Amino acid sequence: MFLNNFEYFAPQTPEEALTLLDRFGDKAKVLAGGTDLFLLMKDKLLQPEYMIDINQITGFKGISYEPGQGATIGAATKIVEVERDAIIREKYYVLHQAASELGSVQVRTMATIGGNSCNASPAAETPTPLVALGAKVVLHSLSGKREMPLAEFILGNRKTALKPGELLACFILPEPLPRSAGRYAYIGLREAMEIDAVNMAVYIVLEDDSRTVKDLRLIMGSVAPRPLFSREVSALLTGKEPNPALIEKAAEAASGEASPISDIRGSAEYRHEMVKVLARRLLQETYTAAKEA
Amino acid sequence: MEMKPKQLVTLNINERTYEVPLHPRDLLVDVVRKEVGLTGTKKGCGQGDCGACTVLIDGEPVLSCLTLAIACQGKKITTIEGLADAKGELHPLQQAYVQHGAIQCGYCTPGMILASKALLDRNPRPDTEEIKRALAGNLCRCTGYKRIVEAVEAASETINKEGVK
Ligand SMILES: Cc1cc2nc3c(=O)[nH]c(=O)nc-3n(C[C@H](O)[C@H](O)[C@H](O)COP(=O)(O)OP(=O)(O)OC[C@H]3O[C@@H](n4cnc5c(N)ncnc54)[C@H](O)[C@@H]3O)c2cc1C
Ligand code: FES
Ligand code: FES
Repeated sequence: MFLNNFEYFAPQTPEEALTLLDRFGDKAKVLAGGTDLFLLMKDKLLQPEYMIDINQITGFKGISYEPGQGATIGAATKIVEVERDAIIREKYYVLHQAASELGSVQVRTMATIGGNSCNASPAAETPTPLVALGAKVVLHSLSGKREMPLAEFILGNRKTALKPGELLACFILPEPLPRSAGRYAYIGLREAMEIDAVNMAVYIVLEDDSRTVKDLRLIMGSVAPRPLFSREVSALLTGKEPNPALIEKAAEAASGEASPISDIRGSAEYRHEMVKVLARRLLQETYTAAKEA
Repeated sequence: MEMKPKQLVTLNINERTYEVPLHPRDLLVDVVRKEVGLTGTKKGCGQGDCGACTVLIDGEPVLSCLTLAIACQGKKITTIEGLADAKGELHPLQQAYVQHGAIQCGYCTPGMILASKALLDRNPRPDTEEIKRALAGNLCRCTGYKRIVEAVEAASETINKEGVK
């Protein structure tokens, strides 16, 4: 239950943090909320010699929104702030929903949104809605900044596109389009504090008629090594007016695309079924919300 | 890596200042219990699952088993020992837990009460669902949650009536 011995740094600026990261290389670990990192260290799966705490870097924290431009969320922003933020709730409800479901209030108070994606657990809560929203990530290193879609940042179970010496600085969420809506749901073993057996986010944009689907993204979590975008559901529903029969077909298609494993949280067969249940429910709910938007 | 000597760190716990010798790797729960001697904070799972180690940092509930003590410099830490007033009068939440039989072995209680306090400070009139949600990260193996929820409801009434904080 003890952590290994390490040297601790709490840099105040991104430059200081990047310099430390550059100097210590893979002997250092970035500390955000510690809710994933310390569990791995307690199990002796990681034993960093240097700890770089990024919680004092104000530039990596907070949520800002510019009408017409979208929102920026600092990587070190706590999940509880995302959950409570009025703009996120109003404009990016799907992310608000997922943030509210992560762990307990204690975990949400400690955990950061950046840590959730950098940890890259297939069962993670927030990458699913963030990918559905088309979020981008901004990565900083001493040699500069680069940007990429979050969908390309998460490479697989515990694997990200972060290069040595790089930090995740923030997420950029595009301005939500008119007549659009997003919804999130998950299935776990109990009502709180569980690891999701399946989670899902749907984002729908409608045409001017407020009936026909212009664009649709259904993203599944926990059923593949990384957030899975269902191409078939988009193909089936784009240009159409979803009705129960079409939605049923789409739910079947999503289930067919999922490639879950069996573990203590559910068999692969159960997860395929749950994908269907969630897809049916979320497609209907999101479509209704988009019509009313 | 060779072990450096402990360094002195200033921690503000229950509005008192403590100079505590510690290593960077030392977790807040161990420092509060062993170095400072405030043993009200409990350590259960050590993995974030049980909530027994809950303390408030700047008023927000955190798990002291997953928090570095060194990272708490400059912050206000509240443990269960900090809830009673200067005369030793119990906080309405503590009184309500006692009166409603919401305590048996008491191991979960300090964490449970601090999580309840964080809730009432933000939301003085929570409904039953809000209470359950706020306590979802605190496990109790003896009392059962019904009496705990009732105690929080009762404390909420007292606080709103008397204006205590
Ligand atoms: C009891 C409990 C319940 C949980 N429940 C859930 C749940 O329901 N859903 C869920 O999704 N997760 C859950 N988690 C997992 C965890 O809380 C989240 O994944 C959380 O978002 C991780 O964030 P953190 O800030 O604590 O990350 P940390 O543990 O600090 O970091 C995680 C990893 O990311 C790296 N990292 C962090 N930030 C950056 C950055 N800005 N740049 C580069 N690298 C970085 C760290 O070096 C580390 O390798 C739970 C954890 C616990 C202990
Ligand atoms: S001891 Fe910290 S959550 Fe169990
Ligand atoms: S009273 Fe014993 S664990 Fe809650």
